[in-house]
Amino acid sequence: MVVLAASIMSKNGKVLVSRQFVDMSRIRIEGLLAAFPKLIGIGKQHTYVETENVRYVYQPIEALYLLLVTNKQSNILDDLETLRLLSKLVPEYSMSLDEEGICQTAFELIFAFDEVISLGHKENVTVAQVKQYCEMESHEEKLHKLLLQNKIDETKRRMKEEASKIDQMKIEKNRGNKGGFMSSMGSGRIESSFSDMSISSGGGGGFGSGSGFGLTTDIDSFASKPKGRQPSSATAPPKGLGMKLGKNQRANQFLESLKAEGEMIVEDAQPSKLSSHIATAHQPTDPVTLTAEEKLNVTLKRDGGLSNFDVQGQLSLQILNPEDGLIQVQIETGGNPGDAGVGLLKWRMQSADESMVPLTINCWPSVSGNETFVSIEYEASSLFDLRNVMISVPLPALREPPSVRQIDGEWRYDSRNSILEWSILLIDNSNRSGAMEFVVPPADSSSFFPISVRFSATSTYSELKVVNILPLKGGAPPKFSQRTQLITENYQVV
Amino acid sequence: MEKSCTLLVHFDKGTPAIATEIKEALEGSDVSAKIDAMKKAISLLLNGETLPQLFITIVRYVLPSEDHTVQKLLLLYLEIIDKKDQKGRVLPEMILICQNLRNNLQHPNEYIRGVTLRFLCRLNETEIIEPLIPSVLQNLEHRHPFIRRNAILAMMAIYKLPHGDQLLVDAPEMIEKVLSTEQDQSAKRNAFLMLFNCDQDRAINYLLTNVDKVSEWGELLQMVVLELIRKVCRTNRGEKGKYIKIIISLLNAPSNAVIYECAGTLVSLSSAPTAIRAAANTYCQLLLSQSDNNVKLIVLDRLNELKSSHREIMVDRIMDVLRALSSPNLDIQRKTLDIVLELITPRNINEVVLMLKKEVMKTQNGELEKNGEYRQMLIQAIHSCAVKFPEVASTVVHLLMDFLGDSNVASAIDVAIFVREIIETNPKLRVSIITRLLDTFYQIRAARVCCCALWIIGEYCLSLSEVESGIATIKQCLGELPFYSIPEEGEAPTDASKNSQQPSSVTVSSRRPAILSDGTYATQSAASETAFSPPTIVQGSLAAGNLRSLLLTGDFFLGAVVACTLTKLVLRLEEVQPSRVEVNKVSTQALLIMVSMIQLGQSPVLSHPIDCDSYDRIVLCVRLLCSTGDEVRKIWLQSCRQSFVKMLSEKQLRETEELKAKAQVSYAQPDDLIDFYHLKSRKGMSQLELEDEVQDDLKRATGEFIKDGDDANKLNRVLQLTGFSDPVYAEAYVTVHHYDIVLDVTVINRTTETLQNLCLELATMGDLKLVERPQNYTLAPESSRQIKANIKVSSTETGVIFGNIVYEASNVLERTVVVLNDIHIDIMDYISPAVCTDAAFRSMWAEFEWENKVAVNTIIQSEKDFLDHIIKSTNMKCLTAPSALDGDCGFLAANLYAKSVFGEDALVNVSIEKQLDGKLSGYIRIRSKTQGIALSLGDKITLKQKGGS
Repeated sequence: MVVLAASIMSKNGKVLVSRQFVDMSRIRIEGLLAAFPKLIGIGKQHTYVETENVRYVYQPIEALYLLLVTNKQSNILDDLETLRLLSKLVPEYSMSLDEEGICQTAFELIFAFDEVISLGHKENVTVAQVKQYCEMESHEEKLHKLLLQNKIDETKRRMKEEASKIDQMKIEKNRGNKGGFMSSMGSGRIESSFSDMSISSGGGGGFGSGSGFGLTTDIDSFASKPKGRQPSSATAPPKGLGMKLGKNQRANQFLESLKAEGEMIVEDAQPSKLSSHIATAHQPTDPVTLTAEEKLNVTLKRDGGLSNFDVQGQLSLQILNPEDGLIQVQIETGGNPGDAGVGLLKWRMQSADESMVPLTINCWPSVSGNETFVSIEYEASSLFDLRNVMISVPLPALREPPSVRQIDGEWRYDSRNSILEWSILLIDNSNRSGAMEFVVPPADSSSFFPISVRFSATSTYSELKVVNILPLKGGAPPKFSQRTQLITENYQVV
Repeated sequence: MEKSCTLLVHFDKGTPAIATEIKEALEGSDVSAKIDAMKKAISLLLNGETLPQLFITIVRYVLPSEDHTVQKLLLLYLEIIDKKDQKGRVLPEMILICQNLRNNLQHPNEYIRGVTLRFLCRLNETEIIEPLIPSVLQNLEHRHPFIRRNAILAMMAIYKLPHGDQLLVDAPEMIEKVLSTEQDQSAKRNAFLMLFNCDQDRAINYLLTNVDKVSEWGELLQMVVLELIRKVCRTNRGEKGKYIKIIISLLNAPSNAVIYECAGTLVSLSSAPTAIRAAANTYCQLLLSQSDNNVKLIVLDRLNELKSSHREIMVDRIMDVLRALSSPNLDIQRKTLDIVLELITPRNINEVVLMLKKEVMKTQNGELEKNGEYRQMLIQAIHSCAVKFPEVASTVVHLLMDFLGDSNVASAIDVAIFVREIIETNPKLRVSIITRLLDTFYQIRAARVCCCALWIIGEYCLSLSEVESGIATIKQCLGELPFYSIPEEGEAPTDASKNSQQPSSVTVSSRRPAILSDGTYATQSAASETAFSPPTIVQGSLAAGNLRSLLLTGDFFLGAVVACTLTKLVLRLEEVQPSRVEVNKVSTQALLIMVSMIQLGQSPVLSHPIDCDSYDRIVLCVRLLCSTGDEVRKIWLQSCRQSFVKMLSEKQLRETEELKAKAQVSYAQPDDLIDFYHLKSRKGMSQLELEDEVQDDLKRATGEFIKDGDDANKLNRVLQLTGFSDPVYAEAYVTVHHYDIVLDVTVINRTTETLQNLCLELATMGDLKLVERPQNYTLAPESSRQIKANIKVSSTETGVIFGNIVYEASNVLERTVVVLNDIHIDIMDYISPAVCTDAAFRSMWAEFEWENKVAVNTIIQSEKDFLDHIIKSTNMKCLTAPSALDGDCGFLAANLYAKSVFGEDALVNVSIEKQLDGKLSGYIRIRSKTQGIALSLGDKITLKQKGGS
């Protein structure tokens, strides 16, 4: 019982598809198939033809013949069953039962035939099974892929961790450098190093709670012996890898800090006093913490222009030891502090000046064909260095994540809320503007708004600084730490 | 062995894909474009296109693809490409695919693994397979059955390769282990199949240890078991005792396929009556239980085989076989009757005839459209029963005579002929048949049947009463004389106009082709089965007069027959009737009838007058009745009968001779070698000789078996293609197989230079097609080379192959062309003599559209010689009986028939007449369904008919 070939041919004798299951030469099979149409009689009520050497078992399907070529000893009962199965399969794969339809799906049919007959022997399969075999949907493969994906994610996560560590280190190092530089420049620049420190603490908040704290201690130690630190940080950074990565950026940072200094230089400060104050403090934690925080409420129009700009500032004070409770805080502001009060200070600023906006977003959806190209650009003002910028673009409901063509930074697709999140770790002078482009299925352009933005910065509009605190009781001023932070409360492009 | 071809896909030449496009798409990252490109590439390759560089592109860009469809297409691609160079070594770049195959074999997706394993089954190159073997073995234990199935098959395929047993030394052991634990039906089957093919002893061992479970095994496995048993027993006859039991137990299997196979195995194993009986029983059971016509027909074929080898057992089953008649399919009924007719014996004849009679009666009730044909078949069957066993004739003849008036002319004629034969061979039945015939005569509606019946009446009415009633019957059927009313009555013209609408009722004797007004041939049947027009006025008034109505349609041949019959009856009456007065009275009445018929024939009432032949005959009868002589009487009353008897005996003789000839074929020649199977040394024999019938069957089917003709014949077919002084000499040896022509061309470089890029370019005319593209060769100085070219033939037609040889000499850049002689492919290679029945010939003659008419132009003087010459030169079979061609009358008409290997029919009619000057003139007409045959055969005849050589 051997099926030599399974074929489909048109009624006028054109061979559309043929799959052979035993070795036979091309000329032989073509000859056999060419002879077939001439052998079928008209008006016969049976569907097999025997010749000297082979038997054809066939079944007419509309304008086609489905045909099995077998040897004459073959078991007719088996062959008929095979034929029946094949005849059920053909319409499953071919949308139209004519020459064109068969030609289009020729290869799919060959695959299906392969599942029904193996080496000329019939297989015990059903139509559903054949379909399943041909679809090749494998649970195991999915599992395997999932595992693989997990591994990749795991590695990515680690990579990120490492990267952030390196980042952190870089910043430390930078600070070290700067500190050293400044100390060599003169004690008058210490002020700036404080502000830098706050930057790192603000930025560090995202990485871990301990880091901000650690940083301050670091600062302490460096502040206490500024001269000793400098060479070590310049020549031997703590980790080889960190240095390598940091190297490129170091110049930038350096320049930036220089620039920052340039601004700071105008400020009137009392460096000698401060340094002496800090130098005397040796406690592991600061007894007094001052936090200057500004919250941004901004609404930008999608076609440009500002509809709302509101900054709310607050200075808060935390004192660990009750005996330090009576202190006097000396504040110095760079800009307009707005309405300031003593004690717990609050201020507010409103403006219609577009130049005040730290980050503007332009979003251009354009529909072309059955796709929508969305390009988003940001432009940051040079006022601030923005950290952890996260631009969330709402998307229409999608089955698959959008395909992002080009991006500065990283992206993530939150499928549950259907939001595309574009995150940029740091926007500084090196990347004051950036862009992202992605493609989604056609959608209304309004569906990409409102875009909400989150970021933080370590300098504020008010440029409020605590210059010094003096205990009212007299005596040595307690050590204090200071945080300055600008965060977004509601920053939207509508 | 030629390269095997694993798939064919129709290639649309209208939209040729360009290689660069395919390449680009393959290199791109778009998966669907890649799939399309792969499909196109495969189609192109299958079409003989060579796509150089494609392989590298595919290795680089397609191999790494993750998509499943792409991977599957890749496997197909690998299947069809040439993996070896010209010297039979594996191409070095093939190693590139090994890694991919290995990855696929370890792919997490079980289907990818499966299809890759399946691909390995088709791979013949051990060099590629070798590194993959560990991966294949791993898959043997995979938990997914889909993979295990294919892994086992792959192992089998690898093991069967040349030296494959060295690649997988312990494969049978492993498979045996697998077999014992395997649960999946299909995988189990494959495993057993593998053992069966690779290590038969293990397979037997497994079978014998599990004997009691065989009946519980799955259908697939049981089939292989049967196959194994068959094979084992053929090589080792002594052991069949062990297996018969298994087969018997399988005979009760639930699957019909298994039962069928069992029966076949039983027959092949044993010739013991019990076994054959069991097989026959099984077949009969399948015959009744299966509703599928195909199955029934094939089972009948098997029964037919059994019948020829074990007739005595089949005789007992005859009634079971007969039950298949209940199927409404004519083919089945015919086959059944064929089998049954050869199984009748004196013991069962009565039963069989009873059954046949019942069937005949059934056909009267239901008015199925096929009933007429079926009835005809049954009547013929009963006829041959009656010929073999004359004693049954009495029981059936009366029943059958009811069908004389059947509206189905063919079966009515069969009945008439049957009756005619019986009445001669069974003198005892004569009286009853005649009485019956005279009673039913008025029912007969068809002219041909009437003729036959009249002849019987004229010939076998012997006694006075019979003769008288015979005459009376005829008279009654003719109705009142005269046949037409005198024109004054005004009815005749209408009659005439009605009748004139029937140009097809040409008289039998007229041999002119009827040409319709639009210039085409009318359906022209020599046996004009006159479908007479519905009630004419004349018929309406005389409903009983069947003869009359026939005559009024202008059938004067019948008129002549009526006249002859009357003459005969009157002559006989003279012998038996003592009273002269009576005789004279009857004689005058007969004369009146004849004269009225002539009058009718000459009257303007009918659209065409009486033909000369009938007129002459009727006039002859008139003369005869007027002046009787002894000599004439003897001719009319005795010679006629004698020649009929002679005809019958000749027919019988022919049949017995055919039987004898048939019987003789199966006997061995006296000087044939006798093989004693057990004494045969197997050492010297090739595997091929040891193979059994099943294998042979398969080999024949795949075309591996092609008998080599004798060498002398081969040499006759060598054709010189170029001249001896040409720089390249070529000659071809042409082999014509059924569907293909193989040209074996020997090319010899006659120069002292190396010829580069030598290419044999062939082109064809007619229904021929080149299979492969020509390849380029380099030919060293004075060396030769064999080039093979395959040409496909798809219909019978004279074809021409022409071509040239193109080459470059090493120092000249331009190409030189040598034109080859044309090769003519002769139509004679494709047609072979065949036989068909007269009726089939006539219906085909009427149906076929193509006619080629060749005027006879020959130097041969004798008609018979000319016919023989034509038969010889066209390789056809003469259907006209030799006795009909006997004698020398100056005329000759004969039908020739042949069939082509493609199943096309070729009909030839030769009609020649000797002219006064001794030359032959006439026409040869060729008819066929296709133009090719008519034309080619016509050309052939024109060419050959001159004769003289």
